[in-house]
Amino acid sequence: MRLAALLVAIAAFAVFPLLTGSNYFIGVTISGLIYTIAAAALNLVYGYAGLLSFAQLGFWGIGGYAAALTVMRFGGNFWEGLVFAGLVPAAVAILIGLPTLRTRRHAFVIVTLSFALLSALVARDWVSLTNGPLGIPGLPPPTAFGFAFRTPTHFYYITFVYGLLALGFLYLLGGSRIGQIMKAIKQNELLLQSQGVSPLPYKLAAFAVSAAVTGIAGGIFVFYLKIVDPTFLDFYYMQTFLIVVIIGGAGSFWGVVGIGLVMVALPEALRFSGDLRMVIYGAILVVAMLVMPGGVAGWLNDRRIAALRASLK
Amino acid sequence: MLVDSTYLLQLTLNGVILGLLYALIAVGLALIFGVLEIINFAHGEFLMLGAFAMAFVLPVFGLAYWPAILVAVILAGIAGFVLYELFLSRLGQGEFERSILITIGISMILLYGMQYLFSATPRLVDTSYGFAGVELGTIRITWTRILGGGEALAAFAVLYLLLNFTQFGRAMRAIAQNREAALMVGIRPKHVARNAVILAAALCGLAGAALAPIQNVQPAMGQAIIFKAFALVIIGGLGNMLGAVVVALLLGMAESWIGGFFDIVWQEAATFSIMILVLLLRPDGVLQRGRMRVG
Repeated sequence: MRLAALLVAIAAFAVFPLLTGSNYFIGVTISGLIYTIAAAALNLVYGYAGLLSFAQLGFWGIGGYAAALTVMRFGGNFWEGLVFAGLVPAAVAILIGLPTLRTRRHAFVIVTLSFALLSALVARDWVSLTNGPLGIPGLPPPTAFGFAFRTPTHFYYITFVYGLLALGFLYLLGGSRIGQIMKAIKQNELLLQSQGVSPLPYKLAAFAVSAAVTGIAGGIFVFYLKIVDPTFLDFYYMQTFLIVVIIGGAGSFWGVVGIGLVMVALPEALRFSGDLRMVIYGAILVVAMLVMPGGVAGWLNDRRIAALRASLK
Repeated sequence: MLVDSTYLLQLTLNGVILGLLYALIAVGLALIFGVLEIINFAHGEFLMLGAFAMAFVLPVFGLAYWPAILVAVILAGIAGFVLYELFLSRLGQGEFERSILITIGISMILLYGMQYLFSATPRLVDTSYGFAGVELGTIRITWTRILGGGEALAAFAVLYLLLNFTQFGRAMRAIAQNREAALMVGIRPKHVARNAVILAAALCGLAGAALAPIQNVQPAMGQAIIFKAFALVIIGGLGNMLGAVVVALLLGMAESWIGGFFDIVWQEAATFSIMILVLLLRPDGVLQRGRMRVG
């Protein structure tokens, strides 16, 4: 039943561009998919391992710049760019993760935040590499076997395939032994340690994997946008990922993915001025944290448990 | 490079005043962390509200500086009261991540709400002091800067007296040092937490009001400074108010010197780089000794 629903959903996403001729809708769906992947990666660190990481924004930006620079400066192609968009953020994650994961969780939040801000400063100020505030425009369309991915529909399929791979990987990881230990870290780190498991390698793994997944998502997105500039590291993206994770329910894979895909439609429903939209996002965040801290998934779970209890009476 | 002593002195003086104002923000963050064990992401918005209050109230009082400062501080305090009563008081113990997400949401509402209402255009704030200043030998410093620094010093003196010599402040320190023991001797954590948030917000509002005539006033001004203040609080040791003040002063000077002699790029990156370095060497902050301390 669940498998059938999943297959229908995947098939629907696969044929979606054939049903609509509108590049606008396809574009909205591409960004929705990309945000969903990044949110699912954040869910791995925050929802599973319990580490509220703002560094995702930095990884997203580094991935975008790594992909763009590979093609525009170092003579590589798009696919090599994506490899670097995954490897560079993962390496950076290990570098900053090693010292900060040993600190208290309070400090971890601030350090990851500072890292994200520092990345934005570097993107803006290291003009000789990143071209400063002007950014790197004119990213060429990716090619494979002589075929150029020019139109939004072509790009949609790159995103779609990456989405299947990334989300599938994150799902399997979450269900595996490693994923279970990550969840245990969030629930009771001391108990886990008393069982002879060292949490640090698992935290580091969650951090690095989420960095790679986010980085590649960023890399694909800059080629869709055809430009990368320092606004790609705007705090807005981090807030979007966070809202998807919080509303979906931190720690729930399907909750986050489901809400992520639903929120594809949200920019449509909220076509006010940018400022007003952010006010609404902020209000959603506050209300969600106050009313349903477990997100939609947590809320549904509570309802299910309440129903079970009622049937026992 | 030839270092001109006048130039150096001028930079140092500017740095000290900047550092004092940073310290006002950081000390409030440390106070809130000490008492509530949360990090207030909406703290920068108190600064912004204080600065906007100054910008709007000054013309009403015919540019008179002191009444406007007073109004800004009171308004920021009220904002702190509302923040605590509506949102923070609902948080339980140990809900650290939840507190961050709630305060981020509030910060988004305030920041983008102000931007929506008043646009992102920077405003210049004029006071009755204008750009008048005093000459100290070869260096020159404006009155608004001197007053800003003076207000910060006065605020620290008041804070010190409050924390050490009144029941109000002792209760805050007691909660920060040992919550259970404080409960046992009859201190009510909710009241103390509310007082701490109001006090921190008022200090931050004072910083915003003092900064308004020195810098441009714009909705994003709080966010730019608050991220730096987080770094200061980390370097000083979370919840350590003295540490936050010392580090803020040092960093204000360091930034001013770096900005004077090197590229502006380094000025911005300095705080964050120093923070990451400190965390590598002393994960609990430079001045952290044993348990969390306040005052």
